[in-house]
Amino acid sequence: MTNAIELAGAGKRFTKYEDTPMILTSALRVRNRTRREQLWAVRGVDLEVAEGESFGIIGRNGSGKSTLMTMMAGITAPTEGSVRVWGRVAPLISVGVGFHRELTGRENIYVNGAILGLSRREITDRLESVIDFAGIEGFIDTPVKFYSSGMYVRLGFSVAVHAQPQVLLVDEVLAVGDLAFQVKCFEKMNELRREGTTIVMVSHHLGAVRRMCGRVLVVDRGIPRFLGEAPEAIAAFHEILSSSTEVLEDHGSGTRFEPGVVAVRSAELLGADGEPTGHVEAGEPVSVRLRAEALTDIEEVVVGITLFAPDGTPVYADSNALEPFQDLGAGTELTCTLSFRAQLPTGSYTAVLRVDRGDLRTNLAQSPTISFFVTGRHTVAGHADLEARIAREEPVRR
Amino acid sequence: MLATAPTIDLQGESTSPGRLARQLWEARELFLILSRKEFHVRYRRASFGILWALALPLLQAAVLALVFSKVAHIRAAPHYAVFVLAGMAPWSYFSMTISAGSTAVVDSTDLSSKVYFPRAVLPLAQLAANLYGYLVTVAIVLLLCPLFHVGLGPAALLLLPASILLLALTAGFCLTASALHVYFRDVRYIVSAALMVWFYVTPVVYPAGDASGKLRLLLELNPMTGILDLFRTATVGGVGPMAVPVLISLAWTLGLLTTATLLHCRYQRVFADLL
Ligand SMILES: Nc1ncnc2c1ncn2[C@@H]1O[C@H](COP(=O)(O)OP(=O)(O)OP(=O)(O)O)[C@@H](O)[C@H]1O
Ligand SMILES: [Mg+2]
Repeated sequence: MTNAIELAGAGKRFTKYEDTPMILTSALRVRNRTRREQLWAVRGVDLEVAEGESFGIIGRNGSGKSTLMTMMAGITAPTEGSVRVWGRVAPLISVGVGFHRELTGRENIYVNGAILGLSRREITDRLESVIDFAGIEGFIDTPVKFYSSGMYVRLGFSVAVHAQPQVLLVDEVLAVGDLAFQVKCFEKMNELRREGTTIVMVSHHLGAVRRMCGRVLVVDRGIPRFLGEAPEAIAAFHEILSSSTEVLEDHGSGTRFEPGVVAVRSAELLGADGEPTGHVEAGEPVSVRLRAEALTDIEEVVVGITLFAPDGTPVYADSNALEPFQDLGAGTELTCTLSFRAQLPTGSYTAVLRVDRGDLRTNLAQSPTISFFVTGRHTVAGHADLEARIAREEPVRR
Repeated sequence: MLATAPTIDLQGESTSPGRLARQLWEARELFLILSRKEFHVRYRRASFGILWALALPLLQAAVLALVFSKVAHIRAAPHYAVFVLAGMAPWSYFSMTISAGSTAVVDSTDLSSKVYFPRAVLPLAQLAANLYGYLVTVAIVLLLCPLFHVGLGPAALLLLPASILLLALTAGFCLTASALHVYFRDVRYIVSAALMVWFYVTPVVYPAGDASGKLRLLLELNPMTGILDLFRTATVGGVGPMAVPVLISLAWTLGLLTTATLLHCRYQRVFADLL
């Protein structure tokens, strides 16, 4: 298997200027020097993406995902290390996609096509299907500055996929399109994947990453933290997320974290048969079992759960705040089980358990993230499966 | 696949001159599209469309000719109006092109921060977009010559080297300034201020011979002097020896083109970081 992309020790350092550098001020020495600050947006990335692979990159905001993508697209050069890509590259980097604002959609197709390496003839031949796929016929002769961001992305995606790239780089662009277009894009990307196009995708939509990508790289604060199959990578990412929520809550919402009082020993999801599982059918009864140990004497302990949807939004949180566990002595082992039915649509979910003091202001411990996949009922969409029963009354003829 | 060369091969920030030249050649289609587009954007919305491309320099030449001959009583052979127009043709190409070309990279941020192509294409497209207006003014000068009893001799062939030198100088200037402008954002203002002064230290509205003292020195150092001399020798005539001014233009041109090459080779791959 040959590689489509190779990064060796790649890193990018940006210089942030506090004020714009000016010839006049530097020449006249009005200020000694522009104030600047350097930061490594991403560093030490070794990566090989094979031809035809679908690869994902996930991480929190500002962790360097887009920087990696711009280097793979050749838009910017790495400060250290090397970046090499084989084949025609079509980048869809953030919203905007590289259009000239003053030009019409049609003219921009030519500009973009030329950048992607198509000749005029080739572009003219594909013009119809590009416009058709984007579905913006009525606006094709309007300057793109009058486009909505969704229309921008529609056209950009359409040009990129019609250029028959060997490598498609998709950075977070699809989120802007409406649902119908997103579905169309995923279908098209699947088609390209089957045809052997290498796809690298950055998305905060973990469900999409799981569906589209084989291997996934997790970056955090510019450092590659995990590289592996999508489910494990997503779990590793949740680990990073959960370890950082402590920090957030410390300073943020008025709750404080008090370490050394309770230690979580394990947390797992059990299926209907009581065995640990990672896969659940919609509506199935499941439970989450937490084992923790009290390290000191504690009066009242509240155990709570938060369940997150594939896109990271919390869908459900609950706790035994009304009936807390009482008087745990140092060294007592606490095992508790939260049972519920997985009334959820298809997707990959995560759950986190937390242990708080009875006043609900002091967090004592948090479990590692539990990831699981729900196979939902076909007809269900949204965040919850309320198991609607759709009954029909006997028709009456009037 | 392994046998083929990578399409993107990045190690370090600079691009070798050979590779940059190859990339520019590969981007020729893009260059044509961008120049055509530049041309359209400029004249599409104007009500007389492309006529503006000619009307502006003609109007400017007419006003200047009127003002300077009546107020400052400048005389020049063969007729002052034709003398000014012959100066305006290269000058207005130069000034129009560098005022747009110096900011071309930053002005196309939408494009250059989202995709890669050799950034030099952007200022070069400005050069091509203004060429039409230049050719038309040159044609007008050539048509007016017989009206003022100027015979066009074999010297008219000098129009070719004059135009090539003008293009090369403008290219050197635009490429250098556009690279500097990515980092120093006041280049935009410095260029427009410089152009205003530059007009008066270029023998557009007066013959170089009329100048003396410090002005004389500036005229001699000015790369546009040699180009205007060449241009007028080719058309309206009446210019003295011009070997030295032309050599000075040539030196400036080579210097600017070298600087531009160095700047673009070193920095063009990281322009996007600052956009
Ligand atoms: N051109 C630039 N100049 C200076 N700093 C930059 C530049 N581009 C990015 N950065 C910095 O580099 C870091 C990584 O940014 P990057 O855009 O790669 O993050 P990201 O992972 O794509 O985030 P998001 O999920 O929000 O898209 C950030 O701290 C950002 O401020
Ligand atoms: Mg990003």
